[in-house]
Amino acid sequence: MTVVVSPSADAASFKRARRTGNARRRCHHGDDVVWRWAIFSPALLLMLALSVLPLANLVFTSFYDVTWAQGQAIWTPRGFANYAALPGDALLRAGLVNTLIFAAGAVAGQMLMGFVLALLCSRVTRGQVFYRTLFILPILIPGIVVGAIWKLMFNYDFGLLNQAIGLLGFAAQNWLGTQQTALASVILVDIWHWTPFCFLLFLAGIESLPQDIYEAAEIDGASLWQELRYVTLPLMLPTIMVTFAFRLMVAFKVFDEVYLLTGGGPGTATEVLSFTIYQRFFTENRLGYGAAMSVMVIFLVSILLVTGLSVRRRAAVVA
Amino acid sequence: MSLLTALRRHGVAKHAALIAAAAIVVVPVVWVVAAGFRTQISLLMGAFWFTPVLASFNEVLFSKTSDFLVNYRNSLVVGLTSTALCLMVATLAAWSLHRMRWPTWVVHVFLGWALVFHMMPPIALASAWFTMARAVGLDSTLLSLVLAHTVLNLPMALWLMGVYVRDVPIELEEAARIDGASTPTLLWRIVLPIIAPGLAAAAVLSFVFSWNEFAVALNLTVKATATVPVAIAKFAQEYEIRYTQMAASAALSILPALILLLFAQRYIVKGLTQGAVK
Amino acid sequence: MKPATSGRVTRRGVVVGGGALAATAFGAGGHRARAAVAEPISVVINQSPWFDSFRQTVELYEKQTGNKVDLDVNPFAGSLEKQRNSVRAAKGQYDLLVMNSGWFAELYFGGFVEAITDIDPSFKLDPDVYTLGDTIWFDPVKKVMTPAGKLMSIPISPLIPLLYYRGDLYKGAGLSVAETFAELEANAGKLNHPPGVYGIVQRGARGTASVSFDFYPYLYGFGGGIFKDQAAGDYTVTLNSETGRTALDYYLRLAKQAGHPKTASLDQADVIQNMVTGKAAHIMMVIAAWSQMDDPNKSAVVDKVEFAPPPHAPGLPTAPGLGHWLGGVSRNVPDGRKRAAVEFLRWFQGKDAQLANVKAGGIPINAAVYRDPIAEEHRYRWMKPLAAALPHAINIYQFPQASEVTAILDLGLNRAVAGEITVADALNSMSEQIYGVMGKYDYKTGKLPPLR
Repeated sequence: MTVVVSPSADAASFKRARRTGNARRRCHHGDDVVWRWAIFSPALLLMLALSVLPLANLVFTSFYDVTWAQGQAIWTPRGFANYAALPGDALLRAGLVNTLIFAAGAVAGQMLMGFVLALLCSRVTRGQVFYRTLFILPILIPGIVVGAIWKLMFNYDFGLLNQAIGLLGFAAQNWLGTQQTALASVILVDIWHWTPFCFLLFLAGIESLPQDIYEAAEIDGASLWQELRYVTLPLMLPTIMVTFAFRLMVAFKVFDEVYLLTGGGPGTATEVLSFTIYQRFFTENRLGYGAAMSVMVIFLVSILLVTGLSVRRRAAVVA
Repeated sequence: MSLLTALRRHGVAKHAALIAAAAIVVVPVVWVVAAGFRTQISLLMGAFWFTPVLASFNEVLFSKTSDFLVNYRNSLVVGLTSTALCLMVATLAAWSLHRMRWPTWVVHVFLGWALVFHMMPPIALASAWFTMARAVGLDSTLLSLVLAHTVLNLPMALWLMGVYVRDVPIELEEAARIDGASTPTLLWRIVLPIIAPGLAAAAVLSFVFSWNEFAVALNLTVKATATVPVAIAKFAQEYEIRYTQMAASAALSILPALILLLFAQRYIVKGLTQGAVK
Repeated sequence: MKPATSGRVTRRGVVVGGGALAATAFGAGGHRARAAVAEPISVVINQSPWFDSFRQTVELYEKQTGNKVDLDVNPFAGSLEKQRNSVRAAKGQYDLLVMNSGWFAELYFGGFVEAITDIDPSFKLDPDVYTLGDTIWFDPVKKVMTPAGKLMSIPISPLIPLLYYRGDLYKGAGLSVAETFAELEANAGKLNHPPGVYGIVQRGARGTASVSFDFYPYLYGFGGGIFKDQAAGDYTVTLNSETGRTALDYYLRLAKQAGHPKTASLDQADVIQNMVTGKAAHIMMVIAAWSQMDDPNKSAVVDKVEFAPPPHAPGLPTAPGLGHWLGGVSRNVPDGRKRAAVEFLRWFQGKDAQLANVKAGGIPINAAVYRDPIAEEHRYRWMKPLAAALPHAINIYQFPQASEVTAILDLGLNRAVAGEITVADALNSMSEQIYGVMGKYDYKTGKLPPLR
């Protein structure tokens, strides 16, 4: 079945038409309540059983202190004391700052690289499969292995990186051991590891863009840059936002790489939030305090996301 | 025609950039695989040339303390099952939410909740899930891990499929409805072929995340049900990181994901040329 | 107490797995089958260099007695979690817990480990077994670890740090074994030829008990300490005493004058790396790494490394800190399995079992093995120094919240090594924080006046 969709030469109006068209027409659907619920319920059940319960447990625990005696748990209520102790935690403050820097740097780097690579890959006429396969490789490797291998590559005495720059005449650097370079090195590893994720999403997005827009733009004599700015980017905005949101959330959870590469050091240079939570929750066995920290982190990231989303909505309306 | 135009026409600049990027991506991976063929000391000495030995692969695959083949099988089972389950559940739910008559608050709350859930550190969840699994006697089976991975990947799958589902032109669905199509037919005949490329991409990502997941797998598995990352983590020991065995097992662990990828690649391309609306 | 070896099933347990196994127990075992038949047990343990020797020793046990033992092997990162999950559940997954020095106190205090003498009052501890800073005992009422308490566990692996040094370099320079700190400083200085060879390579990185573990032999070897008298329950913080300052000054001086330029970022694996690639003349390292030194696949200095107890101040004994593994029986498992676990421990602590253990590459817990002729062999040249050091092993922490203290120590020491803060500031701030932690958990504590 083919349907002719009449395009406008302008991506923005095309999008607007599509959006309002959907909104207007949504009401005609969904007359079968049975099906509506039937296909939604598996997801609902899974989420209720496996996500609501653990989170409720976490929130509940954050108001207590849990100790053990004679094999039994003892719950001592602490009210908001766990939360009150959070601002005084110097490592937490460092963790917050480092995680923000890490998330901003890593996510920006990955998205930029991913987008550029996806763009290039979609434009190239030959070897697409070859490049595509190659670029996906890093996410196939488990996080712990990535950490271990890059630790070896960054090694001061034997690492590949110092050997390579030695050949070029530069002095060996202590990448993971110097305050200034440690966080940057961890960010680099994360970019290497996760650019394929962005690449894949952007590629799928780009390849599903309607070709007629581009043809119209080419007929109109648009340059590459204009094409990018007025056609590709606006149309890709939903994909970009989704990718950004997901990468940001995962970046806030980063753990495996930091754990193996630097252990939070030197000093507190690479102390990230999930590492601090891990320390408090598991290594130090402070369940109540660790839970409060987890809840606070979730709260903060939610605020960030909501702010980001509302900014986008306002921008879209203006456009 | 000037040199610049000629270069541009043949896309040399693009290829050069792509090849440079490919090199940055590939060199560490090749280095890891090569490391699996070295002796530990040759790796630590930083020597470039080395004589390959099979000792590490031997130890990983055939030694008494290693269950690598069993771990491999477990990872495959968990990865494939959880991916299939996750995508099925997510796609249906996404389509229901975006295309059927739900009040807007339901859509926002559910998707918002999925987002919040996605932010929770997996380690915090793992302990809770272990307690639940043990309470129903599932803690030594693969089922608990399958369910855990399904729910872990659900938020991402929901949002991804949400994007792709909303890209399906509503006129198509309308036309099918007018023709009297029931919901299942509509989904199977109209929606599915169009979202197939997105589905493939989401499937690859979901499988890879499940394959590489460590924190939850550690808590929910025992020796017989352990997955590949748990096996690999055993090489990062207290006193040494057994780099060569870790590299060997990492090299082996990349294989299925790579094969799946090549497979899905062709499907993406095929889906695009068939499903494009023109 | 000698269990019956004639064909009589004891009242202790039932053999699961067939009568054939029972026949093996009483037949092929011969005069060596000293353990009674018992239920199969499961052991939770982590992957490590000495795991393989433990596995072979367990197989010998199974062959000799016919009892089955299942080993659940986990990565080190996460073995604590698995043990916690098991002991906190209503019914435990594992019967025998192989606990690390970092968390055994938590399991003792939480009441998760059942005393061996409670399970079997007739159990006699082999007098040759090393008691490892009295950590195998625990008084649940007074909450201290002294021989007056109950017997909670048997050592599985008695890991302490030793001084590893390059015997070939010593011979070339005509040096003798460093026993005191002054001698170590002198020897390290003489052998320091950077960047080819560093006089000593220290573990200065911040991690989970990383630099702190490296520092203990120096701190305690000078006569200092973190707490006044743990066995008496007095947790007054004594870290920032003059002795503490001497120890930390010495540690930093070593690093500056004869150490690796990037000490502040070196962790355990890096230190071992430096030794096996021949770049270090001395390292202070847990004995567990000995097998890497002589393995031609892993080392460029095969047969060149020698061992000695950690140096100390004159007049004081060597003071290695414990990083050991203990085997305790979980409380939340059925009685039959508890008794079976105790059977295994009874067999494991004996000289014969430990001899088999060391031949498989493990580290024996029984002093009789160290007196055996095997200790004279070149391959086992680490045994004599270890036997000399083990009786002086120090248990640094006798309370479960130790990880908070080690986190403070690691951060402070790492910053001192990196030159970010002065010695006095580091010691004072660490002591202040440790005092805060002990106070938070209502331990009897106090502090010293700050150093100037």
